[in-house]
Amino acid sequence: MAEFNWRTLNIDALDPESSYNFDLATLTPAVQPVSTQDVQTLSGQIKQLMRAGQSEEALKGALENPPYGADEQGKNIHLSTVTEILQSIRQSEMTPILQRIYQSEGGSEVCDTLMKYIYKGMGQGGPAAAHSAGKNVTPQQTGFTQAGGRSFGGAEGGGQAMSVLLSWHEKLVEISGPGSIVRAMSDRRTV
Amino acid sequence: MASPEVHHLFHAPIADHSFSADRNTLAVTRANNVELYGKQGSQFRLQDELRGHDKLVTGVDIAPQSGRIVTCSQDRNAYVWEPSSTGEWKPTLVLLRINRAATCVRWCPNESKFAVGSGARIIAICYFEEENDWWVSKHLKKPLRSTVTSVTWHPNSVLLAAGSTDGHARVFSSFIKGADARPEPSAWGERLPFNTVCGEYLNGSAGWVHSVAFSPSGNALAFAAHDSSLTVVYPSAPEQPPSAVISISTQQLPFADLLWISESEIVCAGYDCEAFRFSGNEGGWQLTGSVEKANGGGKQGGQEHEESARNMFRAMDLRGRTGGNENTKLPTVHQNSINKIRAYAEAGGQVQKVSTAGVDGRVVVWNL
Repeated sequence: MAEFNWRTLNIDALDPESSYNFDLATLTPAVQPVSTQDVQTLSGQIKQLMRAGQSEEALKGALENPPYGADEQGKNIHLSTVTEILQSIRQSEMTPILQRIYQSEGGSEVCDTLMKYIYKGMGQGGPAAAHSAGKNVTPQQTGFTQAGGRSFGGAEGGGQAMSVLLSWHEKLVEISGPGSIVRAMSDRRTV
Repeated sequence: MASPEVHHLFHAPIADHSFSADRNTLAVTRANNVELYGKQGSQFRLQDELRGHDKLVTGVDIAPQSGRIVTCSQDRNAYVWEPSSTGEWKPTLVLLRINRAATCVRWCPNESKFAVGSGARIIAICYFEEENDWWVSKHLKKPLRSTVTSVTWHPNSVLLAAGSTDGHARVFSSFIKGADARPEPSAWGERLPFNTVCGEYLNGSAGWVHSVAFSPSGNALAFAAHDSSLTVVYPSAPEQPPSAVISISTQQLPFADLLWISESEIVCAGYDCEAFRFSGNEGGWQLTGSVEKANGGGKQGGQEHEESARNMFRAMDLRGRTGGNENTKLPTVHQNSINKIRAYAEAGGQVQKVSTAGVDGRVVVWNL
């Protein structure tokens, strides 16, 4: 008895009135469920646009239809589509494209979606790190908290992907301000 | 335009502030106490202290007509303070019956009731019971799912709006039988028994709501959320969807508080340490500019700028990074985020001066 750590007791689980026992999904904005199949189809169409050299249209198309309602796999497919488009656009074209998108109808929301993908892309580390190391390693077990989760460009190409995302991030903040960073963090509709 | 009146009271955050009706007394929260400042010339001097809470005080409100002060705190209590015959302030405990911190408190316009928001997903509507000679409360519970961050009253003293960390702004009826006169029917509702939910609004990204406010007529509701947005709702008729919901996402950091200065203008302030003006109507709203700039802000421009080039190179040389003074001093008057914004002076239904208080311990009065 004396060994029991009361601080670890989850008192909210014992209270029927508590929000712990309440499905929070009803409070969040409604999102349409999207099947992985649909995400794949969309991704195919967007890649076609990209191969045709219409990077701006491809980017807009990808960001206007984020699969908020898809499962983890669908979301990852769309993320890789977006990252691929971002990497295909030259640095000098970033600002003009972003400006055109921001000024168009509903452009502010498209920019917010882009910000979400930039952060998600950065959170994934290099392409290799996303699948292998880090995901299941908890900080308590290893002690190497930082080194476990990220691959500081260790995977070939990871560093380069990160630098593309960072320059997009810089250009995007110049246009849509810190507000879009806050929205990427506070939005319940995750990408 | 005249520059703003800056009162740097102390080096501690101000969670809430309130001026008396004659604007000669200023009540500010400071840790576990509320300090009362009296105006002497152009300055505010500490006059009295309201001691009684034993945790952080989160809200203070002075009733304009009766002069009574209500305070609420994280110790889960609220007190109503009244001046006694000896000139001291006498507290009366309010029975809130909440099991989490109280977060905000506001008198209703006719001063017969006040509302206390809390972390227990409850809003306590408090009123005075003559026969027992104390303040009792009734709870608004449903459908609150999280901490209440702000409460605000409709001009009819029955409708109450509340913002919550579950991302919703809601309009409730707080009609107390025997204490309230039956309100006129409005776009929000016709029959209004206690805890009627007259409206429940969510913005697109469901960021938690920092602040809510009714327009001066009470026919529109605005709320600011943590996704840097401002949303204005125009109700159409009872039980009908609103006729317009306008949500604008800004480039700024989130707004912690907002204030209607007329039927078509709002001032917002928050984590950007300065106040911004918005104007609009049912057709749309937009940000029109910074209050700071209109007040001749950025006054330390010239001289300091000239110096800063030299400082910059010296700092680069000495410490290997740019920036000297400007790294520690913000160009705004407030040096930290603004927590609350209040009307200070109005004329003809238009607010002409507002006061802001923030984490930097300053209370600033702005001309609009």
